Amino acid sequence: MQTETIWDLWKKGFTAWEGATASYLEKVLVNPSVLGPAGAMLTAAMKTKAASDKAMSAWWAAWGLPNRRDQERALHKLNQMESRLLDLEEKLEDERDARVK
Amino acid sequence: MSKLFDGLKKLVDRAGRGLPPVGQTPHDVVFAENKWRLLRFRPRPDVARRFRTPILLVPSLINRWYILDLQPGRSFAEWLVAQGHDVYIIDWGTPGAEDRYLTFDDVCDRYLGRALRQVARRSPDGVAHVLGYCLGGTLATIHAAARPERVASLVALAAPIDFHDDGLLSVWTRTPTFDVGAIVDAFGNVPWPLMQASFHLLKPTLNLAKVVALVDRAWDDEFLDGFLATERWGNDNVSFPGECYRRYIEELYRGNALVRGAFTLSARPARLDAIDCPVLAVTFGHDHIVPRASAGALLAGVSSPDQAELHLAGGHVGAVVSRKAAQTLWPQLSRWWAARDTDEARGLEPPDGDAPGVAHAEMATAPAAAPGA
Repeated sequence: MQTETIWDLWKKGFTAWEGATASYLEKVLVNPSVLGPAGAMLTAAMKTKAASDKAMSAWWAAWGLPNRRDQERALHKLNQMESRLLDLEEKLEDERDARVK
Repeated sequence: MSKLFDGLKKLVDRAGRGLPPVGQTPHDVVFAENKWRLLRFRPRPDVARRFRTPILLVPSLINRWYILDLQPGRSFAEWLVAQGHDVYIIDWGTPGAEDRYLTFDDVCDRYLGRALRQVARRSPDGVAHVLGYCLGGTLATIHAAARPERVASLVALAAPIDFHDDGLLSVWTRTPTFDVGAIVDAFGNVPWPLMQASFHLLKPTLNLAKVVALVDRAWDDEFLDGFLATERWGNDNVSFPGECYRRYIEELYRGNALVRGAFTLSARPARLDAIDCPVLAVTFGHDHIVPRASAGALLAGVSSPDQAELHLAGGHVGAVVSRKAAQTLWPQLSRWWAARDTDEARGLEPPDGDAPGVAHAEMATAPAAAPGA
C-alpha cells in the first residue's frame, strides 16, 4: 500500500516534469538557431558520405567491374519491365472483358 | 502483492517470450508486383457479405500494414470483415537498394492505381471505397484527385494534406540548410532509423513516458498485450524509396503543392477540387504527428457535396488501434460506408439494420472543415 502511494506520488511528479520538459524541448527544437546548424551538419555528413561512395565506385569501375549502382540500375530496369508487362496484361484483360460484355 | 510488483513480475516473465504475433486475420495475397502485395482478408464463413463495394486500405509507405490488423480484438480489418465488408489492404513491402529510383508517380499512380484497379475489378460496380492512413491517406488523396474513376469514396485517416504549419517536421523540412537531395544521394533509400529519430524528436520525452506507463500498468494483461504489439509495429519500420522521398519533401512539405493545386501525378494535374466523391477526413485531438489543421485541410479543397470531418479524441495510433476504437472510430466508419453503399441510383438494397444517413447525423456535430484550413 505504502509502495503504491510513493509510486503514485512519483508518477505525479514525473507527469508534471514530462509535460514541462516536452513543451520546453518543443520550443527549443523548432528554433531556427537549432535547426539551421543541425541541417548544415546533416547535409555536410551526407555530402561526405556521397563523395566517398562515389570515389569508391569510380575506383571499382576503373577495373571494369560493375559497381553497386550499376546493379541497382539493372534491377530497377527489370522491375520497370515487369510493371510494363503487367500494364499490358491489364489492357488485354480489359479488352477481353469488353468483348465478353 | 501490489499491482506495481505484480506488473514488474509480468514484465520479467514476458521478457523471454519474444515478440507478440501480429497481422493474424486470415488473408490471401491476390496480387504482387515488385515488393508490394495486395492482400484480401478472407470473408468469414459465418458472416454474410452485406456490402457491395469493397474497401481498399492504404497504409503509410514507411510503416507496416499490420497496424490495421494488429491483434485479435485490436484489428480494424478483422472488425470490418466481421461486419460483412470485403476488405483489401496494400502491403508496401520492404524496398530493396534498387528501389531508390522509384518515383512518387511509380508509388502513387502505378502501384496504388494497380491495387485499386485489382480491387475494383472484383467489385460488382467496378469501384472501391478507399481509406488511406497517415501518408497512405496523402497518397490516396492525390490518386483520387488525379484518377477519380474507380474511387467510390475517400476516407483520409489522419492524413497530412496541408504541410505548412508550426510543427517540427514542417519547420525542419523548410530549413534552408536541410538538403533532401544530399540524403537521397548518400543513402539511396532514406533509412528508417533516420526518419524514426525525427519522429522521436516530435515528442522527445515520449519514450520515457511510455516506460513509466508500462511499469504502471504492466499488471493488466490486456494493456500489456496491446503495448507490446504496438511497440513491435512502432519499431518495425520501412525505409523510404529515395526519389519518391525527394519529391515528397520538396513538393509537398516545402512547396505545399497539394493545397496550392500545383501537384501533378504522372503529368496529370492532381487538384483537390477534382475530388467530388464522398469524402471523410478523420482527425484526432491529440495527434502530435498530423495536426488537425493539416488533416482537415482536405475538406476545404475538395468539391464533394458529401463531405464531413470526424474529429475524435486520442492520438495518431492509439485512436485507430485501441480497443476503444472498436466502440468509437470503427463503427462510425462502417456506418459511413454503409450509407454510401446503398445508392438508390444504382438500385442497391440497403443493408439490414443500418439506416443510411446515420453516419451523417452523428457527424453533423463536427465542423465541416478544420479550423484554419
